[in-house]
Amino acid sequence: MDSGREDCFVVEGKLALPYQYFAGQTGSRFLTALEKEKKIQGVRCPSCDKVYVPPRSTCERCFKPIADNWVELKSTGTVTGFTVIRYAEPHQPFPPPYIQALIKLDEADTPLVHVVRGVGPSEMKTGLRVKAEFARKPTSTIMDIACFRPVRKATAAMGYTYDELEVGMSASFTKTITETDVYLFAGISGDFNPMHVDEVFAKQTPFGTRIAHGALPQCLIAPVLGMKLPGLGTVALEINTRFRAPTYFGDTITATAEVTEKLEEKRWVRMVLTWTNQDEKLVAEGTALVLPPVPMD
Amino acid sequence: MKKNRNVGIIGVGQSVYSSHREEVNQPEMINEAVVEALESAGVTIDDVECIVHGNMELFEMIHQPDLWHVLGTGAYGKETLRVTTGGTTGATLVAAADHLVASGLHDVVLAIGFEKLQEGHTTGGITNMADPLWGRQLQTGALTGMTAAQMIDEFGEERAKKVAMKYRIQMDQHAMKNNKAHRRLGLSPDQAEELAENSPQLVGELRMIHMCSQSDGACAMVFASEEKAKALCDQPAWIKDHITAHREEMFCIFGDAPVLSTHRYAARKLFGRCGITNPREEIDLFEMYDPSSWWGSDWLREFLLLEGDAHLKMIENDEIAIDGAFPVNPSGGVIASNPIGATAMVRVAEAALQVMGRAGDHQVPKTVNQALASGFGGTMWTVLFLLTREVPS
Repeated sequence: MDSGREDCFVVEGKLALPYQYFAGQTGSRFLTALEKEKKIQGVRCPSCDKVYVPPRSTCERCFKPIADNWVELKSTGTVTGFTVIRYAEPHQPFPPPYIQALIKLDEADTPLVHVVRGVGPSEMKTGLRVKAEFARKPTSTIMDIACFRPVRKATAAMGYTYDELEVGMSASFTKTITETDVYLFAGISGDFNPMHVDEVFAKQTPFGTRIAHGALPQCLIAPVLGMKLPGLGTVALEINTRFRAPTYFGDTITATAEVTEKLEEKRWVRMVLTWTNQDEKLVAEGTALVLPPVPMD
Repeated sequence: MKKNRNVGIIGVGQSVYSSHREEVNQPEMINEAVVEALESAGVTIDDVECIVHGNMELFEMIHQPDLWHVLGTGAYGKETLRVTTGGTTGATLVAAADHLVASGLHDVVLAIGFEKLQEGHTTGGITNMADPLWGRQLQTGALTGMTAAQMIDEFGEERAKKVAMKYRIQMDQHAMKNNKAHRRLGLSPDQAEELAENSPQLVGELRMIHMCSQSDGACAMVFASEEKAKALCDQPAWIKDHITAHREEMFCIFGDAPVLSTHRYAARKLFGRCGITNPREEIDLFEMYDPSSWWGSDWLREFLLLEGDAHLKMIENDEIAIDGAFPVNPSGGVIASNPIGATAMVRVAEAALQVMGRAGDHQVPKTVNQALASGFGGTMWTVLFLLTREVPS
C-alpha cells in the first residue's frame, strides 16, 4: 500500500455549540440559599437516610422523590479526592495551577465538586479539612461558594524557603481595630488628622464618624508575611495597596496573602493581598513582593 | 423479520411538552415520563431489567447524559444501553428495546427518549457537524423548503398550498385534544388563507406555521415478553414488525428526481413481509414523524405507496382527521410537539396508546387493530413500526 502523505490535506474544523442548563426547582433552591443566606442545603432521602449535596429531586438508590426533605449543612468538610490543573485553557475558571476537589461536607453522604484554594499542590491531600468561603459578589451559580480553604491550626511556624513555597499557598491574620489602636497609631505616625481623632469634625466627613488610618489595617499584613507566609526571616521588598472601604472603630480586619508567582531568577515571591472586614467586605487589596527566608547552612 | 418471541408495549409515559421547562433539570424531566410509564404498566422500577436511553447527540452539549440521568431513569444497578441515531433516535430506542426483549435477553425493558432543546442550539448542532468536504455532506439544518417547491411544481401553487395549510390546521385541531402537546394554537379552517399569506417565510413557501416546534420533553415506554405482557396488561400493543432504512448521500447524486425515498423503500419492504397489500385499507391509523406540514402531506404518498394525487385527496376529504377513515397523528404530531430525541418514540407510543385504547381525549372513535408509526432523521432516515392489537402469529 502506498503510504505517501505529502499530497494529503487536512481540513480544520470547529464546533461552536452554545447551550444553557436548567438547574430546575430543586437545584435553584440550593443556589438561592447559597446566594441569599450563605447556607449550604442538601436533601435527605427518608428511605435510606442518605444526604445528597448538591440536592437532587430523586434518590437514585431508592428511586423515590426526596426534594421536600431539606437539611442545612455546616460549611466544613473533608476532601475525598482532588486533581491539580496545571495548564491554561479558555474554559477554565482560574489561571493554573489550581486544585479541583471532591469535598464531602460534614453530615453529607455525597461529595460536592469545588475548588480548593490557599493550599499548595504538594500540601494537598485527601482527608484535608476545608471550609467554604462565600463569594463577595453573588452570581447565582455554584461560584457563590467562592472556594474552599483549608482549616488551619495556628502554628508558630518557621519561615518557608523559596523552594518550599508553592503558588496557591495562603495565610491570614485577624485583629479587631479599637479606638486605642487608632490613638496609638496617631502618636506613632504623627498623623493627628481630625478625621481620626476628632468625632465632631469627623461627623462632617463622608464617613460620618472617626475612621482608622488606612495604614493601620494595612500593616496587619506584616504579621502574615513576616510570621506566617513565608514567615520568620522574610524580607518585604514591595507592598502595593489600593484602599476600597474605610475601617471603623471596632471593625475586625482579616489580612490575607496568597502566593501567586515565583520569580525564579531572583528567588523572590509575588503575593496577592486582601483585607476584609467582619462582613466580608473588601477593605483593601494589593500585591507584595518578598524575599523568603534563605536557609542557613 | 423472524422473532424469537413476541414483544408487547405495556406502558407509556410522557412529560408535558413545552418550550419552557426551567422548573426541572434533565433527570427530573425524564423522571416525570418514567414514573408515568411505570404506573401505566403497573410495574415498579424493580421489575425493569434493562434501560435503553437516548437523545440527539450535541443538542444540549452534554457528554454521556445517560450517566447523569440515572438520577431520573432508575437505571442504578441495571443494565443499560445508550442509543443515538439523530432524529430517529426515539424509534431506534423502541427497536433496540424490542430486540432486547424478543431475543430473550430481558423480559421487561424500559426505553427513554428525551430532549431539552431550550438548553441547546438545534440548528447549530446540525450544521456544525457538516462540512462541504467529500464524505461529509452539507447539511443546512432542519429547515428544508425543497418539498414545498416540488409539490407546488407538481400540483400547482393554489392546490399545494391549500393542502399543506389544511394539513397544518388539522394537526392543530388534533393537538387541541392532547393536553401534553406543546403547541395548541386553536386554529380554525377559516384562518387558512390569512396564515398562508402572513405567516413568516422560512424557506420559500415553507412558513413558520408549517414547521414543527422546538420542545422540551421526555417519553418512556415499557416493553415486556409475551408471557409477561399478557400477565401484566389487559391489552398490550404488540410489535409486529419494524424496519430501518437510511441513505446519507445527496439526493441528486445520479441526477434529478425520481428518487426512491427511504420512506417508500421501507414501507414497501415492511408491508411485503407482513402481507399488507393495501396499506390504506388494512392499516387503521398512522402516527407519522411530520417535521412540517409540507413533509407530512408529501410523505403520506410515500408511506402508503400511493401514486398521483391520492394523498392530496385524503387530506382534502378529511380522511386523515381523528374521526376520518384513515386518522393521521391524533396526537397533533411533530408539528405540535418536537422534543427531538423523544419525538420518534412518541410516534410509536401514541400509536400504541391508540391500539391499547388508552389515548384519552384524542383516542380515535374506532378499534385500532393495526397501526403504523414512523421515525425520521438524518438526511433521509426512516424507521417504520407496525403495531397490532392481536398477538402476532
